[in-house]
Amino acid sequence: MTEFFGKLSVLFLVSVTTLSFYGLIGFDGGNSADWALLHDSYFWSILGFSLKQAVLSALLSVLLAWPVARALYYSPKLPFKAGFLSLCLLCFIIPTLVLITGLVVLLGRSGLLIDGLPESWSLYGLHGILIAHVYLNLPFAVRALYQQMNNIPDTSWKLAAQLKLSRWQRLRFVELASLRATFLRMFGFIAVLCFNSFGVVLALGGGPQATTLEVAMYQALKYDFNIPEVLALAWVQFAITSLLYVIVSRWGSANWLSVETVSRRWVPEASPLMKLWNALLYGTMWCILLLPMLALIPGISEMNWKTFNAWSIAQPALVTLLAALISALLALALSYGSLIPLRQAAMAGKGRRQLTYEWLGMHTLLAPAMVLSVGLYVFLLRRIDLDHWGMLFVVLLNAVVITPFATQHLRPRLLQFDQQYYRLADSLKLTGWARLKVEYPWIKSTLWFSFSLVLLFAMGDVAVFAIFGNDDWVTLPWLIYRLAGTYRMADASLASAVLLIMCAMIVLYFERSRQHAGN
Amino acid sequence: MLEIDHLEVRWKEVVLKYNFTVDVGEILTIQGRSGVGKTTLLNAIAGFEAVDQGDIRWDGRSIVPLKVTQRPVSMLFQEHNLFEHLSVWQNLQFGLVGDDIEQRIRAAAEVLEVSDQLDKSPLKLSGGQRQRIAILRTLLRPEPIVLLDEPFAELDATTRLIANDWVRETAKATNKTVLLITHQDEDVARVGDRNLLLS
Repeated sequence: MTEFFGKLSVLFLVSVTTLSFYGLIGFDGGNSADWALLHDSYFWSILGFSLKQAVLSALLSVLLAWPVARALYYSPKLPFKAGFLSLCLLCFIIPTLVLITGLVVLLGRSGLLIDGLPESWSLYGLHGILIAHVYLNLPFAVRALYQQMNNIPDTSWKLAAQLKLSRWQRLRFVELASLRATFLRMFGFIAVLCFNSFGVVLALGGGPQATTLEVAMYQALKYDFNIPEVLALAWVQFAITSLLYVIVSRWGSANWLSVETVSRRWVPEASPLMKLWNALLYGTMWCILLLPMLALIPGISEMNWKTFNAWSIAQPALVTLLAALISALLALALSYGSLIPLRQAAMAGKGRRQLTYEWLGMHTLLAPAMVLSVGLYVFLLRRIDLDHWGMLFVVLLNAVVITPFATQHLRPRLLQFDQQYYRLADSLKLTGWARLKVEYPWIKSTLWFSFSLVLLFAMGDVAVFAIFGNDDWVTLPWLIYRLAGTYRMADASLASAVLLIMCAMIVLYFERSRQHAGN
Repeated sequence: MLEIDHLEVRWKEVVLKYNFTVDVGEILTIQGRSGVGKTTLLNAIAGFEAVDQGDIRWDGRSIVPLKVTQRPVSMLFQEHNLFEHLSVWQNLQFGLVGDDIEQRIRAAAEVLEVSDQLDKSPLKLSGGQRQRIAILRTLLRPEPIVLLDEPFAELDATTRLIANDWVRETAKATNKTVLLITHQDEDVARVGDRNLLLS
């Protein structure tokens, strides 16, 4: 039974990708990719922009994150540090449309902070996209760099002090030596994330000068219904993402969740001037990270409550929560299931088979949500009434896309269980349900924090909904996009605040679960 | 009867060979230098090691084709005998059957001097206490073949004698066929019916 469930889970994940690629190949409807697009300057313009904004976003995020991580590390007594780290997590997973609303209020055409900016300032275009991407990814890099700095052994600092190394030598031989690999990994991961960014570019981009492949795909599908062009763009997007992913994978994985400090270590004492600088930087970061969230408040204060229909936001909020809950639960089941054959291979010492199952379970990380959605959309177009069943595919595809994130956390915990207890469990003849009852207390904390993580990702989805969604089941992120697009900033602010509060509550739960899980 | 019939098991690059029988209800102690293949033998009988050649028969029927969960074997490992995320009492629920099982557990726990530990987490127990809990469960399970891999290694001299006697008495009372690995001659003399020296 468990074996069957395991194979079924893997089969489901592989089927979705296969059907999607079947759609992309365009075997069945005469729709094949329009490769003539490669000779079009429009294509090279959007490809160039996609890469440029991804590289710049990654570079800025990592470079700006470093001094913040140093401030956290060298000034261990900064107040509310745990809260700051939770805020960093919230910023990383904040639904992009919430951030966009905040940024428009602050830096839009009649923004609160544009007084000192030049006349030609516009949030729309490369500037805005970079600001949004840096806001989303800088906190991610802060957490990762800070964690890596915490891994520097006491002995290195003690040795450096004993050898009377200068500040520059300590930076070069201890700090940079420890962070070099993390810098590369962070840069790579953020570049991939930004290359696949959809919501930010959809809202703040536009025109050939500020459009990415993902947005171009969406526009070609939804506005022009030019399937051959969509297919060509999807293949290019997939090829480049795969290439980037392979390169980044060679640099190692980014573990950014566990940032809690270990018991107080011996670190070089910062000078009073350095401490002041760290405190100023830390305070400024608090302000910068909180500003787009606080910017929702003036927007909400402009609401016309007399004409306000609470249901207009409550319904999308419920739809978002319900759809994300189902996606997250399905993702957990798929993740657990797809790990069953992997664990069996690991226990049997069949390394190659284990690697194969590992790849099968994680392969949806390679294909961006937009590529999978477009492929499946093209495949299903003539087979199913997508206006009617679209929401089902929003839920299913989101589940498939977020499954690897759950797997990343469940896999080590379950492999650890097997390593420690599989012989005992086998010897006690524990199979099926009885085995699950023993495993559950072991993975409970990891399971719940994986659940909250994938729930957050599913709640912020814009890409899959953009393709499969419809007006009957509008989600909160999509409602925010529509409201902001029609300059109803007060309503957009309120909807954003509701979504933000929902996410913040889950982040709080997530941080607590993570601490219990020891991850 | 348990028949280990010209059994060959590959362990790393070495082929280990075994050939002996154990009568029903007999307690066979096994000794030998480290690395000679004592644990590998028990693992092969329990189904954790693949058999290269030969056969393992119980009651005249080969158990080699059976999965671990289907073999008539109850095994005590050198370590990791308790799920540490569950309480001792929850750990004792696994594999034990019968209406009077609670009574038997409590009686055995009394003899083995662990009756105060039943509601605790294994993490709060000493190595010796954990080992006695694990011995208790392994012997009370219904499977007719009992494999004990250094069961008394973590016990002090007094507790060791108590555990020695309890294992022998329980095994004899329930007619278990026991294979017991030990480095102590005292265990051989006090618990075993026969000693097998592997070389």
